[in-house]
Amino acid sequence: MTTFHSQVIAILPKLRVQALSLTRNRAAAEDLVQDAVCNALAAQDSFIPGTNFSAWMHRILRNRFISDLRKRRDTTDIDDVPAASFATNPTHEDNLALKDLSMALSRLPADQREALVMVVVQGMSYEALAEATGCAVGTAKSRVFRARRQLEAWMTGDLPANDKLRVKVSALRAAMDARQRSGQRGEDLLG
Amino acid sequence: MNRGPGGEQPDPPNSDAPEDETAFGLWLRRGLHQLFDDVANEPIPEELLRLIEDDRDKTQS
Repeated sequence: MTTFHSQVIAILPKLRVQALSLTRNRAAAEDLVQDAVCNALAAQDSFIPGTNFSAWMHRILRNRFISDLRKRRDTTDIDDVPAASFATNPTHEDNLALKDLSMALSRLPADQREALVMVVVQGMSYEALAEATGCAVGTAKSRVFRARRQLEAWMTGDLPANDKLRVKVSALRAAMDARQRSGQRGEDLLG
Repeated sequence: MNRGPGGEQPDPPNSDAPEDETAFGLWLRRGLHQLFDDVANEPIPEELLRLIEDDRDKTQS
């Protein structure tokens, strides 16, 4: 028999992905997962065995994120979290494109970013996403669709002339190109 | 694009399938996996596992 605690342990990797998609920061994501687990353990009597544990757990994490955000709102702007927090292995051949994607992801609204990651990375259906995020299926679809469309617009250069992201990306690309033309490596620019 | 407060008006894609098989969709999927897969695959911190196991012991005793 799968116990409540075994289910909590099994879902931890997915909670980490959800937490990172919301916070955009690895340390904050780890804290969020731990806080959500504490909330779930405290509320385990309210979970009805046989119902959707995954959705129940994802909602707890999401609610904790929103609750923390409200508490911090007076002092912290979530959009001030560094965009580079998503960046992973800097030696990867696609690192410049990943850096672009990381920055673009950071600019998406948190609910769109979360929806996109849960569908694309976790392989969730729209129905499962809706249940895990407490919204209608149409809203879940809309969030994913808008996220994809916005990212495509940003990544393919369909941006306003004064867009800060494009300015940053253009500057980074120019610096990388200059390094390559002079035979230098440009990986340090991505750190 | 119709984007009201919160951007919540449904503006659904044509397909019910979450997969996006366009060139950009495939590139995006690959990029997102590169950004997020290692987070999912990292070892779970001992402290967190201990927290869960301690609670399991407590509720079973």
